Amino acid sequence: MLDYLGLESDLATEERMIRDTAREFVDQQVKPDIADHFVEGTFPTDLVGEMGELGFYAPNLSGHDLPDVGERAYGLLMQELEAGDSGVRSMASVQGALVMYPIHAYGSDEQKDRWLPTLASGEEVGCFGLTEPEHGSDPSSMETRAERDGDEYVLQGSKTWITNSPIADVALVWARDTSAEDSPVRGFLVETDRDGVSTDKIDEKLSMRASITGSIGLSNVRVPEDNVLPGVTGMKGPLSCLTQARYGIAWGAVGAARDCFEVAREYASDREQFGSPIARFQLQQEKLAEMATQITLGQLLAYRLAELKERDELTPQQVSMAKRNNVEMAREVSRTAREMLGGNGITTDYSPMRHLANIETVYTYEGTHDIHGLILGHDLTGIPAFE
Amino acid sequence: MKILVTVKEVAEAADDFELPDGALDIDERYLEYDLNEWDEYGVEEGVQIAEENEDTEVVSVTIGPERSEETIRMALAKGVDRAIRIWDDALEDVAFLDVEARARILAAVVAEEDPDLVLTGVQANDDGFGATGIALADRIDFEWAAVVNHLDLDVEGGLAHVHRELEGGVEELTDVELPAVLSIQTGINEPRYASLRGIRQAQSKEIVPYELADLDLDADVTDSPLSLTSMYEPETESSATVFEGSPEEEADQLGELLGEMGVVEG
Ligand SMILES: Cc1cc2nc3c(=O)[nH]c(=O)nc-3n(C[C@H](O)[C@H](O)[C@H](O)COP(=O)(O)OP(=O)(O)OC[C@H]3O[C@@H](n4cnc5c(N)ncnc54)[C@H](O)[C@@H]3O)c2cc1C
Repeated sequence: MLDYLGLESDLATEERMIRDTAREFVDQQVKPDIADHFVEGTFPTDLVGEMGELGFYAPNLSGHDLPDVGERAYGLLMQELEAGDSGVRSMASVQGALVMYPIHAYGSDEQKDRWLPTLASGEEVGCFGLTEPEHGSDPSSMETRAERDGDEYVLQGSKTWITNSPIADVALVWARDTSAEDSPVRGFLVETDRDGVSTDKIDEKLSMRASITGSIGLSNVRVPEDNVLPGVTGMKGPLSCLTQARYGIAWGAVGAARDCFEVAREYASDREQFGSPIARFQLQQEKLAEMATQITLGQLLAYRLAELKERDELTPQQVSMAKRNNVEMAREVSRTAREMLGGNGITTDYSPMRHLANIETVYTYEGTHDIHGLILGHDLTGIPAFE
Repeated sequence: MKILVTVKEVAEAADDFELPDGALDIDERYLEYDLNEWDEYGVEEGVQIAEENEDTEVVSVTIGPERSEETIRMALAKGVDRAIRIWDDALEDVAFLDVEARARILAAVVAEEDPDLVLTGVQANDDGFGATGIALADRIDFEWAAVVNHLDLDVEGGLAHVHRELEGGVEELTDVELPAVLSIQTGINEPRYASLRGIRQAQSKEIVPYELADLDLDADVTDSPLSLTSMYEPETESSATVFEGSPEEEADQLGELLGEMGVVEG
């Protein structure tokens, strides 16, 4: 895989071993039939437990028998998974960064003991319910409500575009607690087999097809007050999770782009037109040069982010910059790679168009490209454009 | 019980490499290093035995330069308890080690570790001698079985029930008394991936470096009646006939060819 500045030769043994294991896993367990899953619109559910056994869910967290690897190693893992398919990386991101992370950071001891082991092993699946039909980029306007009734809460509302909701055992639902002053946003752990919970699958996707997406309907759902995450109140809860996941996306996008680049480079060397490999033509070489340059810049961003995160100095705005840039980069690279493959490029026989289709989701979820621009604009000028 | 698993880091050449006339080896820049495929199965077999039998230690041994530590560490990440790596200036200087030299060095390790069971790969996918395991058994006077593709260990009885794969798809069922050397065939098990937890733990597992002198051996162990005289890519001759036309036409052409070759009459 392209590593033009030799960043990987500076990795520690442990990091290189994690990269190699993830790469081998993707080559053997993901790549052979991911295109079929993409065509069928199914997720390779066998991977859920296999990735759990290998410790791919929230490996950067400590305690509770979690691997506690460094942030760079975690990034490398996300990069390798997304080189396989964005859907596989999404599975790991949602389970690890969006469900296990908040339980780990804000959960009670009972909640941690109840959920972390089975989520880590993949025996149970979690999902993260923030987006609603009427509130996407502006989640703080959410309408989902929780009303206290004795030592229970009654939840009412609906969430949509929720990765894995149809196969989830538990949904972390963000809702406004209308029984508290100013109706703050709280996190509720809702077992999906509770009365009043529905999780319908969204079938008409043309992107992220090898990933299951659905809605969460909440109709008078009763949960004990012990199911509320005690450690966080307000939008900081969901937003802090998103910062974790976006960090992984900044790395993952580099992986998808590198896979596209390698496919295009190989194809250009093999495919002959006008009596020689198309890689001989300057137009194609310029495309490869540009792709390699942009991938390398994205890689540098990701590596620097890892250093800052390891030191606990990473700001959400820096993550926004990397998510915004790297996903846009992957979008351009996958499109260029697709184009270099000519007619073959539009099939599932080659990865670029699948990556390209997936990236449309990655461009939109976890804060759209535009919204990250606004976050940066706010940080740079002090003026929030979205209020 | 103690199990010694011999492992080797092997070089794999890139698809397109150049071999200048007179070169005795493929240039470093075309090579990538990885654990020998057969040894993956040996490691997995050893680790599975340890998981099924209490108080079993799995030790890996390799002959290789410092570079090979990362490959060996992967075996530690998959459950091997500790490792021994033998390297020496005298080994650095020789072009390749023959079977005899390897067997002598490994025999010295066996003398030191006193294992009940030694697992080796059937062969290494670089030099492919396919003889180290058996040569070692001969030298240390252990029972042995080669090309083992199924192993059922009776620890208490000190007996290994093995299936051996023979030429032509024949299987031999044999009982081998411990201590024994078994050379392990691919497919005997399904080698695991290293888990992230395993990789973390492997960082603090021990890889003890040995020089020849530590094993009471000296540089003459590398003396060999074999020497590498040349290396070249064999000419590959392939003649493929592609039939074209409708299925009927293709069948006619095939029939004609088979007739010409005397496979069928007519
Ligand atoms: C496959 C998939 C999986 C997903 N998984 C999850 C999940 O697991 N959990 C979850 O909670 N959500 C999930 N989402 C939802 C995702 O986070 C939202 O789609 C995203 O936040 C955008 O919201 P929206 O679709 O409502 O678009 P909108 O917010 O309606 O945006 C529409 C367009 O308007 C632009 N826009 C919005 N506001 C502004 C502004 N102020 N200035 C300029 N432009 C603006 C946007 O950039 C965008 O281009 C998923 C989405 C997809 C597609």
